[in-house]
Amino acid sequence: MSDLSIQEQAPRAAAQTRQQSRTSRWRTDLTGLGFVLPFLILYALFLIWPVILGLRMSFFNWSLGKGELEFLGLANYQELFSDPAFSSSLVNTLYFTVLSTPVLIILAFLLAWLVNRAIPAQWLFRAIFFAPFVLSVSVVVLIWSWLYEPGFGLINGTLTAIGLKEVNWLTDTHVAMLAVVLLTAWWTVGFNFVLYLAGMQQIPSELYEAASIDGAGTMAQTRWITIPQLGRISTLILILQVIASLQVFGQIYLLTSGGPNFSTRPMIQYIYQSGFTSFRVGFASAISFVFFILILIISIGQFLLVSRQRRDA
Amino acid sequence: MISEHDSIPEQLTTTASNGRLTRRAFLERSIALGIGSGAALTLLNACGSSPTTDLTYWNLFTGGDGVRMVQMQKDFTKSHPNINFEADTLTWGDPYYTKLAMASAGGRPPDVGISHLSRVPAFAASNMLDPFDLNELAKYDISEDKFLPSLWQKAQYNGKLYAIPLDTHPFVMYYNIDVCQKAGLLGPDGKLKPLDGTAAVMDALKKAQAVTGNLGLALDTRDVQPWRLFYTLYNQLGGQILSSDGRTLVIDEGKAEQALSFMRDLTITNKVASSTMDYGGAVATFGSGKAGFHWNGDWELPTFQGQNLHFDMLPIPNFFGQTYYAQADSHSFVLPHQATVDPTRRAASLEFISFMLKDSLVWAGGGHVPAYLPVATGNDYKNMSPQSHYASVASNVVFDPVAWFSGSGSELENQAGQAFQTVLVGQFTPQQAIAQFSAALQKLLKIPPPL
Amino acid sequence: MSTHSVGLQGRTQTRAADPRLKRNIVKGVTLVVLIILALLWLMPILWALDTSLKPESETTLIPVTWFSSHFTFQSYVTTLATSNMLRWYFNSILTSAIITAATVLVSSLAAFSFSRIPFRGRNVLFWIILAGIMIPGQILIVPLFTEMQSLGLVDTYWSIILPQIASPVMMFVFKQFFDGIPRELEESALMDGASRLRVYWQIWMPLSGPAIAAVAIFTFVFSWNNFILPFIMLTGNNMMTIPVGLATVQTSFGIHYAQIMASAVLGGVPVLIVFLFFQRQIVQGIAGTGLKG
Repeated sequence: MSDLSIQEQAPRAAAQTRQQSRTSRWRTDLTGLGFVLPFLILYALFLIWPVILGLRMSFFNWSLGKGELEFLGLANYQELFSDPAFSSSLVNTLYFTVLSTPVLIILAFLLAWLVNRAIPAQWLFRAIFFAPFVLSVSVVVLIWSWLYEPGFGLINGTLTAIGLKEVNWLTDTHVAMLAVVLLTAWWTVGFNFVLYLAGMQQIPSELYEAASIDGAGTMAQTRWITIPQLGRISTLILILQVIASLQVFGQIYLLTSGGPNFSTRPMIQYIYQSGFTSFRVGFASAISFVFFILILIISIGQFLLVSRQRRDA
Repeated sequence: MISEHDSIPEQLTTTASNGRLTRRAFLERSIALGIGSGAALTLLNACGSSPTTDLTYWNLFTGGDGVRMVQMQKDFTKSHPNINFEADTLTWGDPYYTKLAMASAGGRPPDVGISHLSRVPAFAASNMLDPFDLNELAKYDISEDKFLPSLWQKAQYNGKLYAIPLDTHPFVMYYNIDVCQKAGLLGPDGKLKPLDGTAAVMDALKKAQAVTGNLGLALDTRDVQPWRLFYTLYNQLGGQILSSDGRTLVIDEGKAEQALSFMRDLTITNKVASSTMDYGGAVATFGSGKAGFHWNGDWELPTFQGQNLHFDMLPIPNFFGQTYYAQADSHSFVLPHQATVDPTRRAASLEFISFMLKDSLVWAGGGHVPAYLPVATGNDYKNMSPQSHYASVASNVVFDPVAWFSGSGSELENQAGQAFQTVLVGQFTPQQAIAQFSAALQKLLKIPPPL
Repeated sequence: MSTHSVGLQGRTQTRAADPRLKRNIVKGVTLVVLIILALLWLMPILWALDTSLKPESETTLIPVTWFSSHFTFQSYVTTLATSNMLRWYFNSILTSAIITAATVLVSSLAAFSFSRIPFRGRNVLFWIILAGIMIPGQILIVPLFTEMQSLGLVDTYWSIILPQIASPVMMFVFKQFFDGIPRELEESALMDGASRLRVYWQIWMPLSGPAIAAVAIFTFVFSWNNFILPFIMLTGNNMMTIPVGLATVQTSFGIHYAQIMASAVLGGVPVLIVFLFFQRQIVQGIAGTGLKG
């Protein structure tokens, strides 16, 4: 309160408020940033920095034991583009993705569809199909190597018991990848399965009731209601599944070591071997970078394709 | 109060426990009494006057010899209660060497590790191994004169010692005594008559095949075995693969073709060996008496003994009548590079290595030829049969060519195995196989070494 | 109502019994198919269990059989005595717990800020972080190892904990959840002079039970089973998590299938038991996160 007239008071009050809001503005900024800082630091250090470091390493002859050696320019990239091991690893990875993705989506859908209709003990079936997902890859591979064992393994033993011939699951180049896909299906279908199941359970029952009044049977209902309603989830599952499949490593490395004769070796294993087995982490970084770009292109391409479809639909 | 009735070791330990002797004085006194320093340390540790030390050790013995290594480890822990000893066995081959490299590169590796001698140069050049201190080693009875010169040389890199050889494991010949007797191949002493030259070898294999009605020779034609056989033959012809600096390809195509032609004669021309046999199949075939001969490393000795097979072992034949060589490698102890070295752990490491060398008669039971001469030249080993029948090979072994991509289980061996397998299955001619192998090597040589 | 929708059932009025019969048949067939599939799904685990309880000599019999005359726990005794399984469990529990707690804390803090604190540069920062979702984790293993090498962290718990905390997806899940909480709650607290930190801690987090549960479960399960990162970073037997230990260290020489299956069972069954007890929450957590992500 002062002797100033109101006309004189107002601008000063306004200036004071502006002053206050400027300081509280700074305070807000600082607080906001402060909250994000822990995340930001870890993100920058362990997600962004490795990308930059990897890019840098790819231009050098970088040794696992000795670190940075001589500058190579684009030599690593030139080498990998003419490297048959690179192209065969890429082919194997794509082959695995193309084989496993439809299986993991369609099988998940089928299981969810079946379980959704099981009124008694639905929780039991849901638990059984999801349970393998909580096992680690090492446990799963130990069990399945044993299942695939020639002679006295369960699968071959059952085949011979019913009069069929044994299959060389892990030593036949034509079968090995199928063996990997079978294992992967058992192990990971649970994830997509629960997503589909949750999605199905969210579909309003009125839609189905209306359709059955119209005379639509189970198959028609599935075709015209269930599937379209799950469109968004399916897109999500598809994109996630493809990205995950492209990065496959654990189960192949442990089950077949990339064999027989490198016929199952995926890209991540080739990166691992180039860098850590052959000590060439610079070369391995170059491969990683090229593969990163490839995955990016495939993911973006998928995303655009699917959005275009949804827009046109 | 020490009486005359106490034995010398008891006297020493009593005095030490009384605190009247320093550790150093104890050692000096015991050495003067003729007790080795290793044993003295054992006594010292046994009376509990030293604190516990940790010691970690990695090996890759997942096969039958693993059982013997476990036995030796048990012997060590029993006699060294003051050392908190931990041993880990990792999967043979690339998985083991990759983990060892990454642990060394990361700065927290095990104190002691096993390495094939053929892998030591690459590891040493990449700063992944610490050199041994020769003066320290002498205190543990480890010195140059206690090993074959070829092995001691092979363990050096850049003038420093990076490995202590435990054994040599050469490519050898197993033969079924009963089959060979029926084939008329045994001499009056009941041992195989010497096979000099490829003709004699082929003749013997054919005769054995006539007896078994199946195969004369059980040979693994996949994986790495074709390389071992080729390398033996090729070196016996005087051939070399890489120049001594490991930078240039110096393959003698004529000699290589000669070696591969003989290999093709085995499986394709004369069919005394199967062209599609894998490792397990070869071992099983010989072990069940369905082949008269088996060419492999020496480590399957316990397997065949366990099957009560009537067999014997000899050096692989001298095929061409020239200077004799057999492909081999050697298991050795190495010190992975530590960021900071704990002196007590380092001492415990040397103690461990020394003990293992002296205990390597147990190891020889697994088929390997001990590298430690006091054991190898001792009567106990000389009386071991069939081990002593092929022990002489150790002075004529040839290791894989020296290069960063070479060594046991390495890329060079993989490429060789793949290329030479094509000859054994009749897919490619020797010339084609050599071309494929040479191309693979040229590619590897062009890569800037990550060392 | 279109005409074709009547086609399948025909004259629905006069054949009222048929649809119900048909529905029951469909239900019955569904159940049978489900039971068969469920049994197939259980087979691998049951067979592993069966093998682990047999004496070694009976594991390699042909024809294969489920029955044994001498079921025994010997393989478990041997495996527990020779392997480092208990230590591996400790390592897995410790690292997964720390990762989970840290992820919940760090991600929710950041999400709270993005959702509720109008600071300058907020949008840009948010999109930069979200862009990180496009980076596939596995391709970073080589430079990540090099980074840990230079930090001297190889073969330490930190080498696997630190890279797993900042997850853009988990942060996004929190943000979605926070965006749905009404503004009035914090506005009154702020006007009363409460700091933003207090608002976050005392108002928001208690309300965010479902989101916390979802993120925590998802993070715990994925970090527990993470293979490639610990496989590369952890080189010493005493540091390894269960997946790495089982894949790296050999405790049986020659071929001992019962022992190998015992170690698989020891590595997997406790997790399965925990899953059975909490399966509703776990499935909901995973599905919830997945649907939002």
